[in-house]
This record gives sequence, structure tokens and C-alpha cells, in this order.
Amino acid sequence: MPKVRKKRMGFVIDMTPLVDITFLLLTFLMFTAKFKSEAENEQQFTIKRPYATPDTTKLPERDLAVISVAIDDKNPLDTSFYFSLTNINDKEKVWELAEVPAEFSNVSLVKVDSLMLSKLIRSTLAVRNTTKFALDADKEIPFKWISQAMDIMRLQRAFVFNFVTEKRKAGE
Amino acid sequence: MAGGGGGLSKPERAKRGKHSKRKKKKRIGFHLDMTPLVDITFLLLTFFMFTTTMLKPQIMEMRIPPERYEKVEVRESELFSILLMPDNKIYWYAGMAKPDNLPEEIPLNKLRALAEQQNLKPNVRNRLITVLKIADQAKYDKVVQILDELNLAEINITDQLSKDLDADGQPVKRQRKFTIAPLSENDDDFKLIQGVK
Repeated sequence: MPKVRKKRMGFVIDMTPLVDITFLLLTFLMFTAKFKSEAENEQQFTIKRPYATPDTTKLPERDLAVISVAIDDKNPLDTSFYFSLTNINDKEKVWELAEVPAEFSNVSLVKVDSLMLSKLIRSTLAVRNTTKFALDADKEIPFKWISQAMDIMRLQRAFVFNFVTEKRKAGE
Repeated sequence: MAGGGGGLSKPERAKRGKHSKRKKKKRIGFHLDMTPLVDITFLLLTFFMFTTTMLKPQIMEMRIPPERYEKVEVRESELFSILLMPDNKIYWYAGMAKPDNLPEEIPLNKLRALAEQQNLKPNVRNRLITVLKIADQAKYDKVVQILDELNLAEINITDQLSKDLDADGQPVKRQRKFTIAPLSENDDDFKLIQGVK
């Protein structure tokens, strides 16, 4: 009896190596993905950071107090200081100590004037004195704002802080 | 696939029975249709690939000294001033600004070479105080760029200095002296620049 030929239907590819690689990439990307923090979500501005030469020092993520100086997206004349803390546990204590008005008690990013800023910096250092400070300002901000922020930090004895910058591409 | 022949996915089942003459195939492992798995994995993969930003902002560390009220005396020859004007132009002078020592304009890309040259001048080697005076209206962007250039100049300066030997025969350590000051319209140097224009 002649063998009955099976009808060939499609073909089969061994997908195992493909799946291996894909899973590897997937897990890598999943672990490195960082989602928007609450403070970033609340902000009404985008900061175009100045460029500086690539360096190995990256912005620390834990116990960081960010003082942003930004121009409001909707109202270009509205330049202001904003303050946020990455440590959520400290945040409540700091907010309480600095007597942040009740309507801001639940927000992570507060718009502050210079007086409130100095209060917040003092309270931050009182709650945890290892907190690092970062000054995140837009390129277009006049230096006046930066020097004011620096003066406030100096008066509150926060002598070490960081300018947040973006990587400068070669040749720029 | 190894031992394939069972159509797309289902491996062929050997008939069981007394009269079956077909040779029983030895089962090695099993087949699993991975297509849906791959679908989902790719979907997730593309999602994460598009949403992640690898570039984290970086930092430039600053240390400011505590407020001090006593006056510090410095030698005029040890001063190197860089001015950032309200129109974002950069000027510089060594020593004090006088009508016979006028501030000179300098483009940003020449600043590094200038800082290196000034800092390595034999008479003030490693003693030069860099003064950065910035007008209130100057852009923050420019300030960071100047600081960046000065930081880059530091690499070469430190390198050059380490070739010198101190009294103990050790390489000389770089001592960086740097200050940032506001530039006001009433400053002599500001007026001099206005006069130059």
C-alpha cells in the first residue's frame, strides 16, 4: 500500500530563541522603566534644561529635594519657584513643619515664594539632614532667580547642591 | 521542529491497537504553540521600548561657602574675572578693570583655552582666583555653559600642575579658587564695558 502523503499545511518555525531574546529585552525594559512621579504629574510646566558635558554623576533618586524654577506653560509671564521632595514619608513631616497652607497639603509640588522656599528648605534639613538639593531651572530663566535660590540655600545652610543639566552632545 | 510532521501544531498520535503496524514514535519532549505568547511579549516589548527614556538628567555639583563677613585680602594680580553681561555676552579681564586694562569680549568656545592659559601663567600658577560676575538678566543657560567650560579647563590645568613637583617632591595639587558674584550696573567694570561699546 502506498504511503498516503500528508497534506502539508503551512510550516513550523522554532520560535524558542526569538522568545528568549524577546523576554530578555522585555524584562530589562520592565525593570528599568521608571514611571512619572506624582510631582512630575502635577507640574504645569516643562523644563528645558541647560546642556553640560556628559559626566558620570546622575541625579540621585532617594531623599532629593528639587527646587524648580520654571515658566508656566499657559502663562509665560508666570515664573516661579516650585518645591518637591522625592521621599514621600518625609514630605508630610516637612509640609507640616513648614506650615504649608492646607490647600496644598496633598500636592507633591508646591508653588512657593522665596519666604516659603526658605521655610521648606529649613524644614527639609530639620527632618532629614542628609537630603540632597537640586536646582532644576529652565534655560531661559534670568540668573536673578538662580542667585536668589542660591542665597536662600546658603542662609538655610544647604551648602551643597546640584544643578540639573542635560547631556551635551559632542560638537555643541 | 524536531520530529515534526504533525501538521501545524498537534503531534501525530500513534494508533494504539494490536494490529497497528506503524512503528511507534518515541516521544521526545512536546510542542507548544508559542505564537500567542510571542504576540503578547512583542506587544509589551514595543510598549516598554517606546515609553522608556534612557536619558536621565545629570547634575553639576556646586558647593557654596557659608556667609563670611570678614574681608579677605587678595592680590590684584591673582584675579581673573569673567563677566556675563545682561545681553549674554562674555567679557574678561585680568587684575582690575581700568581704562588702560579694558575688559575684552570673548566667545564661549575660546573661554576654555583662556582659562587654561590664565591659570597656568607662571607668576600666578595655582594661585589665580577666578571671579565670575553675572548680571541679573543673563540667562541661566549661559551661566551653566560658562561653568561647564571652566570645569573642562580644569582637566588640563590639573594635568599640567601635576607635572610640577612641590618641596617634598610630590606632584602639585590643584587648588581651585572660584567665586560667583552678582554684576551690578554700578560696578566699574560694567561701566567700562558700556563705555567700550
